[in-house]
Amino acid sequence: MIEVKGLTKRFGPICAVNHLDLTVARGEIFGFIGPNGAGKTTTIRMMGGIISPTAGSIRIDGIDMQREPQRAKRMIGFIPDRPFLYDKLTGMEFLRFTGDLYSVNGKDLHGRAVQLLRLFSLHEWGDELIESYSHGMKQRLIMAAALLHQPEVIIVDEPMVGLDPRGIKMVKDLFRDLADRGTSIFLSTHTLAVAQDICHRIGVIHKGSLIAMGTTKDLERAAHVEAQDLEAVFLRLTEEGDAR
Amino acid sequence: MNEVLTLLRPRLIAFLGHKRAAKERGRMMKAFLFGTVGGGFWVGIFLVFFRVLSYFQNVEGFGDILAEKLLSMVLVTFFSLLVFSGILTCLSKLYLSRDLALVHSFPVSHAKVFLARWVESTIDSSWMVLVYALPVFFSYGVVYQQGPFFYANVAMVLVPFCVVASGISVLLVMTAVVLLPASRIRSIFVSLGLLCFVALYVALRLLRPERLVDPDAFSSVVVYLQSLSTPSSPWLPSTWAFDSMRAALKGHHHSALFHNALAASGGASMVFIVTWLAGLVYFPGLSKAQTARVRMTSRGAADKRSGAKRPFGSFSGPVRAFLVKEIKTFFRDQTQWPQILLIAALIAIYLYNFKVLPLEKAPIKTVYLQNLFSFLNMGLAAFVLTAVAARFVFPAVSMEKEAVWIVLAAPVSVGTVLWIKFAIYLIPLLVLSEILVVATNFLLSVTPFMMWLSVTTVFCMVPGVIAMGIGLGAAYPDFQSENPAQSVTSFGGMLFMILCAGFIGGVIIIEAGPVYAVFMAGIRGQDLSAWEWMWLVGSFSLALVLCALAVILPMRFGTRHMLQR
Repeated sequence: MIEVKGLTKRFGPICAVNHLDLTVARGEIFGFIGPNGAGKTTTIRMMGGIISPTAGSIRIDGIDMQREPQRAKRMIGFIPDRPFLYDKLTGMEFLRFTGDLYSVNGKDLHGRAVQLLRLFSLHEWGDELIESYSHGMKQRLIMAAALLHQPEVIIVDEPMVGLDPRGIKMVKDLFRDLADRGTSIFLSTHTLAVAQDICHRIGVIHKGSLIAMGTTKDLERAAHVEAQDLEAVFLRLTEEGDAR
Repeated sequence: MNEVLTLLRPRLIAFLGHKRAAKERGRMMKAFLFGTVGGGFWVGIFLVFFRVLSYFQNVEGFGDILAEKLLSMVLVTFFSLLVFSGILTCLSKLYLSRDLALVHSFPVSHAKVFLARWVESTIDSSWMVLVYALPVFFSYGVVYQQGPFFYANVAMVLVPFCVVASGISVLLVMTAVVLLPASRIRSIFVSLGLLCFVALYVALRLLRPERLVDPDAFSSVVVYLQSLSTPSSPWLPSTWAFDSMRAALKGHHHSALFHNALAASGGASMVFIVTWLAGLVYFPGLSKAQTARVRMTSRGAADKRSGAKRPFGSFSGPVRAFLVKEIKTFFRDQTQWPQILLIAALIAIYLYNFKVLPLEKAPIKTVYLQNLFSFLNMGLAAFVLTAVAARFVFPAVSMEKEAVWIVLAAPVSVGTVLWIKFAIYLIPLLVLSEILVVATNFLLSVTPFMMWLSVTTVFCMVPGVIAMGIGLGAAYPDFQSENPAQSVTSFGGMLFMILCAGFIGGVIIIEAGPVYAVFMAGIRGQDLSAWEWMWLVGSFSLALVLCALAVILPMRFGTRHMLQR
């Protein structure tokens, strides 16, 4: 469903992402972990079509993001790490705005928007300006907006930041449910417990390069760790990356 | 005091860091452009005042009175500008800045935080006014052949001048924050806008500048002179600076120093009053401003309201999405409202100026002057449009702020988004420009040909100015700014103003020759020659091509830059 080949991004002399290759299958939840500044957000922003790669390609269900960005983006629900929204719109207006952008049928739009506002416990705030929302509420609104057009791919950067424990559980259950119904999810996170809990496979990025990829078991073997603890695996792999 | 300096240090470090970065090649170019334009304005102001003051000196009897009246008016204007600029800066620095939470979490007293912020605010709101005030005082010094005492006196008196203005601003802001409900803090901008509008209108009416150049309006020369030499109010802080400067110009050093000391004591008193009041109301006001906003609706309203009839229903989804978003966010942003009021004031003054033009007293034939003014008015109206576009159109892309990811992640091309923004601003600004041109033409009673020409030319020029605003705004955006409207003072904004001036000037120059030929043929009752017809068609075609290029090229430029991010 997601196919990344030779993905590279340079910012002047700095190589933020270096020749990244990976695939995510239909219905798979792929976790993307790495230390701060490893290149996770840059990769996610390229996959969402927000910045263009220096080299390489991204295909969403076979559609090239570089050649047909509008078609590719239509299939994606993008959730950034920081919830910057239009503060002067209400939550409901923002969902209508998103629905119009993604050409969601006008008749279905209102019902679906209300349903999502309820799902994310925002229905009482739907007619309030976004500027009055807390950080967590904005994060939930972005998730609701990303799901509005029923995307086949969800690309999400740090999904749990700003959410309360109930919100975290709800999002984890939601992602599992979506994956069961065939949605592919690419998520970047620092919360290793979340990655271990819901991801089918995990990729570890360090200094712009993918240093390990596989199931938690695969990563344990690669890191020569037997503790069944992703944190120990992560620390070992990134230490080895530092030593290189 | 050390803590106040420590609080100011990040700003100083950022400033010095910016200067270091300015040595890079690209930034050198920008610095050169800014320096050239800024220097040009500075020299221009000096030359205008030098010319005017030299002329006044040749007017026997009351040349000095005129120069003093001018100095008094300049100081009142600068003082008003300092107060207005101070209000906006103080409000932002003391109550709305993003870093306030961090600063107030430091183990430093609120009084010291306030003092550091007020110092920063005073410098920020004063430096530009001061820089552009200096050539005025410099021209007085040169024309009146003053020595170092005059310049030293000006430098000394300007410090309390700025402190008092900033003090008045901060007193107004602190009082407003205490009086207004916390959820409406930003509404202060609206009140200020209205205040500014009224102040501008009253100032215009009270000055009655047209009367000063029309001695017939006065019963005698004595009354005319009296009207010029009316002393300013001693309670007005600008009068203290004026008295000191006037005394220095006349060589009365003791008197100049006395008034300077008076101004300094006024400044010191203001510091005392402001810090005393701040101790009482600043932190409670800030706490009040931080409280949660009042909810607009009853709970669950979003559930109950079904999909009512939606605006712009006939447009495609993405177009409708951006149309609704742009319009709603614009009108809900209260910081935009006073700007609209200011534009209304600008237009009122613009039309008023045409109304009071004493054309009938000119030695040149009135019909010729009427049509000449009408022709030049096309350019003037386009310049007014450029100023309005610089405030609203150029920042339109930056107004996406950090939510720009929504536009970039959406299944809509960047080009489409820019064209939607173009269309949104085109219609109101086209109407505004045409109103300006048609209204002034009616006031001037121009010929039908000139009316037709003005309406058509402005109709063709407006899309070019809007496209340059959107295109260059997209090429040089500032998504991190707290106030994107200020992006017009950036390199891109400056480039926009320069290119617009070039474009408008180009169109006017291309049309000038053939229009003059048509107009003179009309006055003489002759037909145009074949050569003149060819000239007319060629020039107008060239102007049309220029207008088309002004739309296409900047939009492509902006789209390309957005895609290369």
